[in-house]
Amino acid sequence: MRAAIEAFDAGADVAMISKLHPTRSHSGAAEGGINAALGNAAEDNPEIHAYDTVKGSDYLGDQDAIEIFAEEAPGDIIQLENWGAVFSRREDGKLAQRPFGAAGSPRTVYSADITGHVLIQVLWEQCCKRDIPVYEEFFAWQLVENDGRCQGVVCWDLLHGGLKTVGGKTVVLATGGAGRQYRVTTNAYACTGDGMAMALHAGLPLKDMEFMQFHPTTLYPTGILLTEGIRGEGGYLINKDGERFMKRYAPNALELASRDVVSRSEQTEIDEGRGIDGSVLLDMRHLGAERIIERLPGSRELAMTYAGIDPIYEPVPVRPGAHYHMGGIETDNDGATELTGLYAAGECACVSIHGANRLGGNSLMETITFGRRAGRSAAEWALANTTVEVPEAVERDAESKLRDLLDRQDGERPWKLREELGNSMLENFAVFRTEDGMTKQVEILEGLRERYPNVYVEDKGDVFNSDLTQAIELGNMLDTALCMVTAGVVRKESRGAHARPHDYPTRDDENFLHHSITRWKDGGIELTTSEVRFTHWEPQERKY
Amino acid sequence: MQVALKIWRYDSATGDRALKEYEIEAPDEATLLDCLDIVKDRHDGSLAYRKSCRMMICGSCGMRMDGAAVLACKMRMYDIAQDGRVPVISAMGNLPIVKDLVVDMDPFWSKFKAVGPWLQPGYERPEDGREYRIPQERANVIHKESLCINCGCCVSECNAMESDPEFLGPQALAKGMRFVGDPRDGAIVERLESYSGEHGIWECTRCFFCNERCPKGVDPRDAIAKLGAEAMAHGIDRDMGAKHAKWFIRSTETTGWLRETELVPKTQGIVSSLKQTKFAINLAKHNKAGLAFPPHVAAHVEEARNLRKITQEQDRGGALGHVQGERALARLAHGDAGESLEEIYARPGAAPRPFLPGEGSAQGQGSLTQADVTPGKEPTRKRGEA
Repeated sequence: MRAAIEAFDAGADVAMISKLHPTRSHSGAAEGGINAALGNAAEDNPEIHAYDTVKGSDYLGDQDAIEIFAEEAPGDIIQLENWGAVFSRREDGKLAQRPFGAAGSPRTVYSADITGHVLIQVLWEQCCKRDIPVYEEFFAWQLVENDGRCQGVVCWDLLHGGLKTVGGKTVVLATGGAGRQYRVTTNAYACTGDGMAMALHAGLPLKDMEFMQFHPTTLYPTGILLTEGIRGEGGYLINKDGERFMKRYAPNALELASRDVVSRSEQTEIDEGRGIDGSVLLDMRHLGAERIIERLPGSRELAMTYAGIDPIYEPVPVRPGAHYHMGGIETDNDGATELTGLYAAGECACVSIHGANRLGGNSLMETITFGRRAGRSAAEWALANTTVEVPEAVERDAESKLRDLLDRQDGERPWKLREELGNSMLENFAVFRTEDGMTKQVEILEGLRERYPNVYVEDKGDVFNSDLTQAIELGNMLDTALCMVTAGVVRKESRGAHARPHDYPTRDDENFLHHSITRWKDGGIELTTSEVRFTHWEPQERKY
Repeated sequence: MQVALKIWRYDSATGDRALKEYEIEAPDEATLLDCLDIVKDRHDGSLAYRKSCRMMICGSCGMRMDGAAVLACKMRMYDIAQDGRVPVISAMGNLPIVKDLVVDMDPFWSKFKAVGPWLQPGYERPEDGREYRIPQERANVIHKESLCINCGCCVSECNAMESDPEFLGPQALAKGMRFVGDPRDGAIVERLESYSGEHGIWECTRCFFCNERCPKGVDPRDAIAKLGAEAMAHGIDRDMGAKHAKWFIRSTETTGWLRETELVPKTQGIVSSLKQTKFAINLAKHNKAGLAFPPHVAAHVEEARNLRKITQEQDRGGALGHVQGERALARLAHGDAGESLEEIYARPGAAPRPFLPGEGSAQGQGSLTQADVTPGKEPTRKRGEA
């Protein structure tokens, strides 16, 4: 939506395509906040924000992109506020900011613990104001490539049925992540990596796909997100004995170390028998009813609804859960991909500002800052260039593939593959990774991909055929998962979210201080590397 | 656990409707949405419903269970299954059904758009490049309204919309209040004018179903009441609904009871009321309309006047006064608030008291300000520097 608003304001003729209504997007589930160095709560500046981000990325983030990001973030936040975002306030009426993991200053602007929700609302309000048309519940499936550039998207019209091709001089992908590859995930059902898969199938490079962030506090057993803001407000992580174990892993930052560090610490506690039912406890009792109700009402509601626990009186069982893809479609600092006319922004893209580990609060900010930049550059290209031409063959080919899927009269139901994918990814490609586990996972994924052409869609109708779209989503998840694990196997080091404590426990800047690039070639994955862009900061040991 | 569901299936192509029963095996923690997923995956792939976040924030999965709107992802099924109940699941009301549990949301969104759902900056702008300065207390006025996730549960249940499909409805009006109550908005009077028109705030029948069924505690009826109060405070009271409400106050204040005979002319105006003469005569015949002049004054009229005084002192003339002090999500009861932390830690079966490694478990819970440890403040070594 941010990209659409910017492109509209630049004078372009814009429409949005979404498989959900725009306000149903998963950014709305973000809770804790959005980072910008406003310096409202304590001294802060974009340079410290950039440094924290670089360090958090385990030095794999591209520093020029990170500097742009930190520099432009405050202006973007002010604009959102001026547009009407309902943020939490300080006593003097300025925007409130709270501490977040691995941040040098309380930098996270928030709205209680529903920050994503208020941002989604304000962006949708601005889209309504501009009357930007939306192709709602259009399931984007394939990019239209013609004449060496991207000229549109082939979609399945969920509500009415049928393929609809939307032509455009430029296309901006903002399709989010693929957390549904894992059984335990904070992600919505919609997060199935559709945009990444579309780009992959068009032969485009995906960057740093092995880096999957595990959020330290997802509610047991469902994996629903409990915000980092709980720890930002002073919440403790304790093991079964009540020990605040983070002191042993991150003696300075404790619970507010970066997410990869906290998730590994929790997993170690659990693996070594100091957890409870495969989880540790998130304790807010000492914060008191008033603070919990004022600052963390949504988290309390989630804990009460899904775990039957009132955090005012009892700690909440949490464990690491799949949360965020640091990697994605490779773009430049203006969101442009390798394919002319195609742009990407947000979680589906990899600029890269997150490198090997993202800081809490940086993803919402990324969607805004780089959404704006991508929207601007996509509009400028579209306004400077001429025609759109969608060859008939594109839709015909798509139609025949689709018919093939729909006409199949028997086969395997997609849920079986989806379940095996979710369980095996969690077992073999989660917080800790081993050579054996990853090799096995590649085999499992290849097995699933072999079975995939045989999946059976039971619903044969046209109207709201989500059975069909879910089958397509499964294919997208399988293909992107294969990229992740394949890239993971060859990264023989531990960096950020990619932790191999048994065979390669340390970071190896000598051999692996580079991005991994995966792309589809001749029916398989081709792996290459690209350089990390440095400006100011030399890699150092990373301690919290 | 074993869960049985009856689901109203609807095929828009043929118009066929059928109530089908499904029996499934689900994990104990399953929600209604989880159960629908099991039905779709393992029993009938053609079942249609919307879903996405499964954590009460995206607003996709509004539907009806036993005739009342719910968010499927919020509805835990354990107790229902244990009681052996077989709930009936159907699509939301007041919106056309597309297929099974999926409704056409277009009418919903066109009403949303009809209230001008975006901030219209006023004359008072913040200095360039800065935020508006708004104390939290002032921002709290629209706290509940800004929780709305557009799920449609309130619209589904709205009785007024059932009789007037063009009624803006609880969701759109709550959204309207979100702007009317926002000190940054510069079009408050225009908004109140527009929301006070036909199909606007005075159409609401005050049945409170929207408050009752909203899964997020937005309390749309309260928002409509706040809009009414704000409209009157701004002198926007031409609508019969506003006049009707004003007469209630005037009547109870003067005589301590509601003088219904005068209510009609006060609301509709003299000319229009003349058309009701026959009805009035009928009422009088049955001793239902008091025509005594001067009207009877209730013995305890002072009580009515005091009540009015209290509300005036509380400054309940506008939206600010209508915030009851409750904070929507926070309304979830939390037992006896009087317990000290020590007592909470000492509750039977309580999780152990937190302690830092190296400290005895009996002491030290660390410091609340530990969050301020600032790893980023270490000197940042620049590339190329020694």
